[in-house]
Amino acid sequence: MAVKGIFDAGSRNGGEFWKSFGELSAWLLLCGLIYSQTQLFDREIPEYEFGVAGWPRVLCIAAALGAVAQFCLQRLAARRTVEKSPEAEHAGFVGWRAVAQRTAIFAFPLLWLVLAPRVGFYLSAPFFVAGMLVLMEVRSPTRVIAVTGAIYALVLLLFTRLFFVALPVGRIEAFYDANVAIIGFARIGL
Amino acid sequence: MNLFGDWHALLIFTMGLLGGMIFGATPGVNMLTLGAVVLPFTVTMLPEHAIMLFSVIYCAGVFGGAITAILFNIPGAPENAPTCFDGYPMTLRGESGKAIGAAVSCSAIGGLASVILMMSATGAIAGWAIRAFGPQEIFALIFFGLAVSASIGARTLWKGWLSVMAGLLIATIGTDPVGGIPRFNEGSLLGLSFHSYYLSAGIHFIPIILGFFAVSEVFAQAMNIAIGTRERPQAGLEFPSAAEFWRVRWTMLRSVAIGFFAGILPGIGATLAAFLGYSQAQRWSRNRKNFGKGEIEGVVASETANNAATGAAMIPLLALGLPGGALTAMMMGIFQIHGMEPGPLIFINSGDLVWVTFAAMFWANLLIIFLGWLQTKTVVHLLRIPFRWLAPGILMLAIVGAYALRNLFIDVWVMFIAGIAGYLLRRTGYSAAGVVLGLILGKLGESAFTKSMQLMDYSFLGFFERPVAAALILLGFAAIGLSIAGEFRRRDEQRALLD
Repeated sequence: MAVKGIFDAGSRNGGEFWKSFGELSAWLLLCGLIYSQTQLFDREIPEYEFGVAGWPRVLCIAAALGAVAQFCLQRLAARRTVEKSPEAEHAGFVGWRAVAQRTAIFAFPLLWLVLAPRVGFYLSAPFFVAGMLVLMEVRSPTRVIAVTGAIYALVLLLFTRLFFVALPVGRIEAFYDANVAIIGFARIGL
Repeated sequence: MNLFGDWHALLIFTMGLLGGMIFGATPGVNMLTLGAVVLPFTVTMLPEHAIMLFSVIYCAGVFGGAITAILFNIPGAPENAPTCFDGYPMTLRGESGKAIGAAVSCSAIGGLASVILMMSATGAIAGWAIRAFGPQEIFALIFFGLAVSASIGARTLWKGWLSVMAGLLIATIGTDPVGGIPRFNEGSLLGLSFHSYYLSAGIHFIPIILGFFAVSEVFAQAMNIAIGTRERPQAGLEFPSAAEFWRVRWTMLRSVAIGFFAGILPGIGATLAAFLGYSQAQRWSRNRKNFGKGEIEGVVASETANNAATGAAMIPLLALGLPGGALTAMMMGIFQIHGMEPGPLIFINSGDLVWVTFAAMFWANLLIIFLGWLQTKTVVHLLRIPFRWLAPGILMLAIVGAYALRNLFIDVWVMFIAGIAGYLLRRTGYSAAGVVLGLILGKLGESAFTKSMQLMDYSFLGFFERPVAAALILLGFAAIGLSIAGEFRRRDEQRALLD
């Protein structure tokens, strides 16, 4: 009866069903992947009967069971209610600029993460700050420059001059020299 | 030591108080950062000055984290995470002053109550805790804590539990607690394999916390700006009224008891205290339906409980020489640098130092009320600065905070990946706070479980031969049963409304 209810709900409310099913699949895939990786360290320890892999495996099984329970209850509940997801509330036509902006909000920091160890923190940080400001829709160039300058100065003062935090100085020679010069400038008078 | 007659002591006290509050309230750095920075300087200080400095930093730092939790939805430390659930909605409603006022007053009340309890019964309480609490009880307490707190911050009970499970799974990365064998440091999939020395040491919880709370909040706000749905928080200067405090008196008392109890146990500390305090307040409140929507009782519960744990955390440190967390471990280091060994004999050999700790924490908590009141009138004006200007600064501080932890850029990667994961978890109704709770308690829970199994000869029934452990496990199961029943009841109510 309950099993029938789960799939009846799916047929009546296709979008919600596939969303729940996708969530269940993601959890099962993740748990299966983690469980399979435990074989690489599945060793017995003389002083502990359950071995090295026992605890993570129990957690994987518990998480998988939890995901199945969540799916079943979501479907049983969907027989009567149709919850509006936050995405559905804002659904509508989205232009290419908006899509590019939303993608860039996540992609830009990742791009910076790739470049920063090579270029050095001190050289790349102002570009990161300015880029994030533009992505947050600060359009005035004066404001972008002023806020970037203020944040950069604060970071240099706090972490380079006061706390001597050793941040990456770059792996490429020219950038390395420039980073070291900025550190020297920040520590003038010390 | 006469605190108010010695200008040097007074200066150190003031610097510690202000430093703790500022570092606690700044995303990306916290009281541990400040502790690590000033630790080398304590070598040349008088022992009483050094101990006093760290006691004050501890109290002020735990309070400071509430400010960013309330104003920006970014907790300064994991123990302030439950404060976000109601503190930030209050800010959105223009009640930021009221929320900070409640956090200030309740932090001070929780801290003062625990200091007074600590002064009166450190030796006796420590003796009881060490006799009554073995690995079985520690495991049972963690089980109970997770059972009652799992659904906090999640859209449904199941999403809360799955969030905690994710945290527990992340905590298994690194060496296992029995044999020291690395786990998940190598992987193999579809013929491709990898090996990582970084993963052998496990994933540190600081980059994860920065990612889940600070980075994901910036992403969420940036997306809201892009979509055009961002609600601008409003600055409010109103302090909570006496009637409002009177209304939550039982919540305060309950949270003091919970915080003190959790604080005594090494490693459990303020984080579980805050989650337990919040979940119990929600369970017993008349306004439980308003929790998560800006209920002042939620702020009161978590802030009272986490500060009540600070005084209690000194008990195992002073009486038994067992530090419960990173900052208390630094304090233990100070004792050792100055040739003293915390433990039962410290009350005889260095009784004056013990009283310096008590007095410093007492005065720090008392002054938090005054400084916190000033903060209520001043710091809320930060909300007048557009978030789009603050966001890159928050990210910069988080980047430096994550990197400076171990001087590893991969920690910054972990932080940003956690940030993206945190954003997706929020969108889908999972709880970032639940993941962090699982991550922090996971290693401790596994360690307690393995020791329990060895001690009980692998018999699960052994838990029920010890009264405290048995009670906690049964209460944990009861809490799970009640939560499931509550979830079904909630769904039935929704259906009835729709019908």
